[in-house]
Amino acid sequence: MELLCIGLNHKTAPVEIRECFAVGNHRLGEAAREIHTLAAVSEAVVISTCNRTEFYLAADSSTEAVAALESHLAGKTVSAGVASAHFYRFEKHHAARHLCRVVSGLDSMMLGETEIFGQVKQSYQAALDAGSTALVLNRLFQRAFAIGKKVRTETSIQEGATSVGNVAVDLAGKIFGHLGKSEVMILGAGEMSRITAQSLVSRGARSIFVTNRSFERAEQLAAEMNGMAVRFDDWQEVLERVDIVIASTGAPHAIVHREHVEQVRRARKFRPLFFIDIAVPRDIDPAVGEIEEVYLYDIDTLEQIASAARVKRQRQIEECERIIERELAKQALPGT
Amino acid sequence: MDRWLLIASTLLAFIGGAWGILSVHRGHRSRWTTAWMLGVLLCQFGFLALRGEQRAACPLGDRGEILAFLSWSLTLFYLIIGPAYRISLLGVFTAPVVVIFQSIALIPGMLSPNPQPLAGANPWHETHAATSVLAYGALALAAVAGVMFMVLDKQLKSHHLTSGLFRNLPPVRELLVSLKRLLWTGGVLLTTGVIAGIFMPHDASAIGHWIAAWVVWACYALLLGVMTFRGLTGRRLSIATVALFFLSLAVFAFI
Repeated sequence: MELLCIGLNHKTAPVEIRECFAVGNHRLGEAAREIHTLAAVSEAVVISTCNRTEFYLAADSSTEAVAALESHLAGKTVSAGVASAHFYRFEKHHAARHLCRVVSGLDSMMLGETEIFGQVKQSYQAALDAGSTALVLNRLFQRAFAIGKKVRTETSIQEGATSVGNVAVDLAGKIFGHLGKSEVMILGAGEMSRITAQSLVSRGARSIFVTNRSFERAEQLAAEMNGMAVRFDDWQEVLERVDIVIASTGAPHAIVHREHVEQVRRARKFRPLFFIDIAVPRDIDPAVGEIEEVYLYDIDTLEQIASAARVKRQRQIEECERIIERELAKQALPGT
Repeated sequence: MDRWLLIASTLLAFIGGAWGILSVHRGHRSRWTTAWMLGVLLCQFGFLALRGEQRAACPLGDRGEILAFLSWSLTLFYLIIGPAYRISLLGVFTAPVVVIFQSIALIPGMLSPNPQPLAGANPWHETHAATSVLAYGALALAAVAGVMFMVLDKQLKSHHLTSGLFRNLPPVRELLVSLKRLLWTGGVLLTTGVIAGIFMPHDASAIGHWIAAWVVWACYALLLGVMTFRGLTGRRLSIATVALFFLSLAVFAFI
């Protein structure tokens, strides 16, 4: 029995090709079962995320299995010629190593991201439930999950936030701990502030106040986030109660000045206040950051922190690869 | 024997502190800090029990014993409060303070080699001494939390967020909550000590001690009042807590 992986990802195929092969979460089991019914294939697991679609197969002859799969896919999507130009293929030990890299986040667009681990688990579970796996793929996936966990705990491949939004959310956590007692104000209902606020809400932020020059837009975003819209002229009153302010208006000059914060300090009892300024030009006067209890981060600072985390993750790749090789060498997997 | 127990306790605190600091430097929190501190506490218990037996009273008969008792209360508060408020890193910061206090206690002349039973022991005096020293433990720990806050605050303000220490320090709000709770605990114990002191017999030679004790109590009462009713920035609260703790040590100069 031979182990085989055929797939395409963000490195080998543009989105218009990837979307032709994408399989919805609810269809993963069914897709694996369909491939499993091909005469040349003994076992099958289908992994499909926004950045990749991969087919893990166990077959007596890898050549025949590939041919069967290609013909199966060609019938469903684009021509076989287009498909083969974008697909990569790994066999035996290389297929096992590739899966370990995928599970560890080493093959992801955002190096070390954690979501892929759950996505692969879900794909495997769907195939297991569909009855399209047996000894070879069961052993392979269980081993890959164990190795993926080891890589993530023994290295810092998933440490540090690598996007501006995540850096802001991590910092909020460092200042306020659990965000269940924190209130957030969004100054300017732009896309970036929406994404950042959503991350804060997902981490438990208690309530969201949205203010915008166009009150209608503020109401829309507030409704979307289960928050409350505030008229732009009234934002200073809200400043008295909130803990986090996300600013991303399109104003050509600073909106929040030192005196605005000074006026509410007593009423706030000098509690910590976190300003996230993701606007260009900046919405918050840098002098605001000189106030003792204020932590001010602008877009450049947040990007620098995210970039440093990305570099740090890059440096971990070799160590991760070493762990994968060492762990795979400990025990021979069937099909490799 | 009692001296050896204090030495063992100091060594354990040193190892625990060094281990914790190295772990933090490497970017992770030592899971063993609490275990080391538990060992420190057990040795301190042994030391205080032996001295207490010899004194036939609360072992606060000389400066060495006072420092050992203070270190014991620091360790005790850390073990009770640290894990409960999820700030076990406090142990890494507490251990060096314990090492310093106990090392001073071990300097020849600080601990009486043949402790004599305390003459005329009085329950008010015992309560005054014990609660006051316990209060100092809580206030010392509040000062430690204050130092931790100042370190974290400086790193957050200056955007230097890559150190292992930064990653392991508890969040700003948790630190401030812990600091305030410790200040209140210390304040209540100190008040109990001062009230007990009013009822204990004392002579004219204690006047300096009394004035110093009342000044310290008044300063802490003022700090608690301002913190509660007006509010203080984390930095000012921390600086005041640390400064006041060092100032309050002056009380011991009059014993």
